[in-house]
Parts: sequence; C-alpha cells; structure tokens
Amino acid sequence: MSAATAVLRRLKFSREVVLLGVLIVLLVVMSLLSPLFLTVGNLLNTSRFFVEVGLMALGMTLIIITGGIDLSVGSNLALVSVAVGFSYAADLPLPLAIVFGLVVGLAAGLFNGLFITFLDLHPLVVTLGTFALFQGLAYGLSRAEAVSDFPAWFAYFGQAYFLNVVPGQLFIFILAVVVVWLILSRTRFGRYVYAIGNNEEAAHFSGVPVRRVKLALYSGIGLLVGMAAVIYTSRVYTARGDSGLGLELDVISAVVLGGASIYGGSGTIGGTVLGVLIIATLRNGLVLAGVPSTWQVFVLGVLLLVAVFLNEFFRRREE
Amino acid sequence: MSEAQAPIPAESSANGTALRRWLVRPEAPALVFLAVLLVAFSLSSDKFLSGSNLESILVSVAVLGTIALAVNQVILCGEIDISTGSMMGLCAVAAGAVATSTGGLILPLLTGVAVGALAGAVNGLLVTLGRIPSIIVTLGMLYALRGVILLVTGGTWITGIPNETRVLGTGSVLGIEYPVFVLLFLFVVMELVSRHSTWGRNVFAVGGNRRASRLAGLPIDRVRFLSFVLVGVFVGIASIIYLGRAGSVQTNTGTGLELQVVAAVVIGGTSISGGRGSTLAALTGAVLIGVILNGLILLGVPGIWQDAVLGALILLAVTTDVLRRRLLGDKS
Repeated sequence: MSAATAVLRRLKFSREVVLLGVLIVLLVVMSLLSPLFLTVGNLLNTSRFFVEVGLMALGMTLIIITGGIDLSVGSNLALVSVAVGFSYAADLPLPLAIVFGLVVGLAAGLFNGLFITFLDLHPLVVTLGTFALFQGLAYGLSRAEAVSDFPAWFAYFGQAYFLNVVPGQLFIFILAVVVVWLILSRTRFGRYVYAIGNNEEAAHFSGVPVRRVKLALYSGIGLLVGMAAVIYTSRVYTARGDSGLGLELDVISAVVLGGASIYGGSGTIGGTVLGVLIIATLRNGLVLAGVPSTWQVFVLGVLLLVAVFLNEFFRRREE
Repeated sequence: MSEAQAPIPAESSANGTALRRWLVRPEAPALVFLAVLLVAFSLSSDKFLSGSNLESILVSVAVLGTIALAVNQVILCGEIDISTGSMMGLCAVAAGAVATSTGGLILPLLTGVAVGALAGAVNGLLVTLGRIPSIIVTLGMLYALRGVILLVTGGTWITGIPNETRVLGTGSVLGIEYPVFVLLFLFVVMELVSRHSTWGRNVFAVGGNRRASRLAGLPIDRVRFLSFVLVGVFVGIASIIYLGRAGSVQTNTGTGLELQVVAAVVIGGTSISGGRGSTLAALTGAVLIGVILNGLILLGVPGIWQDAVLGALILLAVTTDVLRRRLLGDKS
C-alpha cells in the first residue's frame, strides 16, 4: 500500500521523465513509419514549426496555472500577421511595421486582460468573444487578401539558418524558454502565479496583486503571440487573415500534455516544452507518413482529451 | 402630499416594481436591442420590414436557434458546449447517407438524432465521469468529430438528397415554413420542460449553486449529462432542417456554427456562469443574430466582417450582463 503510493509519488515527481519516454517512443515509431524522419535535417526543420506554437505555449502555461485560458491566440496571430503585412503594404517601413505588429499583439492581450480583470468575467467567455473578434478583424481589415512582397531580409525571422543547419528561430525560442522559466520559478511574480491558481481568494487576501498579475499574463501572451506571428509571417512569407487558424488547439494541447492542470495551481515550463516537442513530432511524423491534415487535427483532439483525463485521474489518485 | 395625490406614489411604485421586475428578466436587454435594431434597419432600408424578409430571417436562424435552445440548458447548468459545429456536420453526414440510400423522412431524422445523442452522451460522460472541464471536452470533440466526418465521407460531398427528406427545409405547414414551425414548436416544448419538469428546475439549481445542489441531494451529474445529450438530440433535428435547406452535405458543414450558438445564448441574456437565463433568451439571441447578419447584408457590409461583429456582440452581451447585475445590486 505504502509502496504503491511511494511509486505513484515518484511518478508525480518524474512526470517529465514519463513525457521524455513518450517522446522517445514516438521518435522510434515515427522513424519506423518514414525513413526520412530520423535525419538531422528533418529534426531541425521540425523546429521551424514548433517555435510558433512553443512561444505561445510558454505564455499559456502561466495562464493555465492561474486557472485561466486564452482561446484567442490563433486569431490574435492572424491579426498581428495582417497588421505587419498591411501596414508594410501601406508604406510603413518594415522595421516599424514589425514593431507595430508586436504592439497590436500586446494590445490585443491587454484587451483580454482588461475584460477579464475589471469585469470579473471568466477568461473562457472573453477569449471566445475575442477569438471571433480578432479573426473577424483580420479578415475584414485584409479584405481577405494577402501581402507577400516583403523585402528579402524579412526572411531572416523565419527562414534563416545558422551554420547551414540550425534554424534561426530556435535561438529565439530557447531564449524565451529560459526567460519564462526564470520568471516562473525564480521570482516573486512566479510564486504569485501559482498562488492565484491554487486559491485566488486566499491569494487576494494575502496581498497578492491578483489583477495586476493577470493583466501582465494576458498582455504577456499577447506579446509572445506577436513574436510568433512575425516568425510565422516570415516563414510562410505571406500575411493573410487565416494565418494561425486552429493553432489554439496545438497550444492548449501542448500545455495540458505537459502536465499543467486545467483547474489551475500546477504546471511547469519543462513539462510544456516536452509537450510542445511531442506534438511537433507527432505532427511532423504524420505529415511524413502522408496522413492528411484533418486527421492530424483528429489525433490532436483525442490526444487533448486523453491528456486531460490522465492528468485529472492521477491528481485524484494522489489526493 | 395631499390626500388626493396619495394613491399616485403607490401606483407609480407599483409600476416601478413591475418595470423593475421586467428589467431583471434575463432577455430584457436583448429584446430592447432587437426592437431598436428592427426600427433602425427598417428606417434605413425599405426592403427590411417586408413580411417575406422577416420570415426569411426566421428561416435562416432555424438551425442556429434549434441548437441554441439546447445549448442554453447546458450553459444554465454552468457548463459549455462548443462542439456543436462539428456535431451538426456529423449528424448531417449520417442523416444524408441514410437519406440517399433509403429516402423518407423518419429514418434519416432518427439517424441524425441517434448520432447526435451518442456524441452528446460522450461529451456528457467525459464531463461527469471523466471530470474534465466541459470547455476542454467539447474543444477536443470539436476537432475529433470533424475527423470522424472525414473518416465517414472520405472527403467527398453527399449530394442528391431526395425531396421527401428535404421537406423540413422546403415545405410549409399552416402557412408557416417548416423550419420556423419546428423552431417555434421546440421553443414551446423547452419552455414547458424548463418551467414544469423536475429536470428543467434542477438545471437552474445546479447552475446557480452546484455545492448547495449536491448537498440538497440533487443528481447533479445526471442533470448535466442529460443536458449534453439534449444538445445532441436537438443538433440531430437541426441537421435535418439543414439537409432540407442545403440539399447536400460538405465535409466543412457546420464550421463556425458553435460560436454563433454560444453567442446567441449569451447575447439573449443567459448568464455564462450558469443558473440565470431563460428559454426565451436563447430564441431572442438567435433571432437577434439573424437580424444583425441580415441587416449587415442589406446595408452592404461585406460578409468578411461577420466574425468581427459576432465577437463584438459576445463581448457587448457579457459586459451588459455584468454591468446590469452590478446596477441592480444582484450579487449572485
């Protein structure tokens, strides 16, 4: 009995190890499915695709730890992409257009945050509304057209290589991981995030500035979405209103798979990074195996349900 | 002050409470908004207030309204269902496949309802037994069911739905087109169920205060489970209306519908946090969305702005809900 609980407890502490195991099994399976999979070139190329999801997942981890959620990240990405592309098309110099895009992302996140904190609304409702609003603005403002006549240097953000093999955006992602990890695990702000997720009311009465923390988190993910949007736009070299459609599923799946409880209070950056890697591997492997994209979405949807179910199952077993 | 005037304050205060009682009704702001819009649109476009245009608005919201009536119950329970878009697609595919092979109305209808109820039951089981938040369950199902549609159809359209199956979308009864008739009929049914059945009352209790409901011995899991199944059943019925109207099913049928449904319910005045709302709110919200989308077309606003308008409306509705409750001093 006590041996069993001890094993379970160790399982909890080594959740990252379990995820690492899953990742390795997945890598083996995928390399059996496609001979192209386990090549250095392909593995590095995969990182092109997960950096965007990964950046947003970092912000989403902190938000989910506080018990919140942001469904609007995919739409926000489209909005920023359109903001960058069309302000450039309207003769704004590209560096300024990129800054403008980041500001739009930040402002969109702040907009979510203001609604959530000052009206005491559930993040789910607000971001469901802004999911439609941002998407609609992206479509409407772009008149469903695309901009793709960017100067050559714009490709730097999404298509550059270091030493001929390492995609440039990988460095941005690693830097972001380190910064967000430091914030979450080494600062007072990070402790506030967990405190709010465990018991918001108790946190409030203990002097945690709940509103300010939440405002910072939703603005922060807006900025991360802005960065992801610039990389995305540069990678596909096109600014369109339907960029990032459905990316919120990848992002939320990655975070939940990484062990963050959807009820708030628990979650780690390490877990999220592993979750992002697993989903990227899965997506890339399925593409190489010739599985159509709608099926990938099916797999992701089921994976999300299984991951949450297992999370809550193990959490209840521990209690 | 004088004796002659004495009854007047009493009467005006009685009026005051009547007005107040009306104002605290969940669907009141939506109804006022609807009235204002009807006046504004009819002033700005001659075509708007014609009988045929008004009926075509009601026909156009029949699918949306039918599903909203059921999702209303889920939201009253304090849960949410955003899988209805894909669920509608799946029901339409299943019903369409049966219709093309057997014809008739009853068999496709039963198929659609059965498939919907099954999908709703999966939602309900994952929420109640799996104890996963409904937003995550139905987000996962939104994508999973879309995958199932591709599995069933192999990516091809279903065309050639026989006319006898399409009657719910094309025919009319007593001078009312069938989609409108079905919507109003289901509205009356839900109004009665909501007011007079045990389950209908329990839905309000569970959404209003789940802990108290559990302590009072209410079967909170069964109440919530049934509301998810009800969504499936209504989605099944709506899919037959859709089949009748469209005459074919594509793999992307119903995409984005889930958002309109949730928008209709919260715009109508049912509180997203559960426990407060009414059947009339869901219907009002659906009609309001129909009127707005129709009005935008008449005013010449391009269709690409639809999502933005919908999103702004959801935010406006939830904001109004919060502000109204604060003004009326209702803390719950």
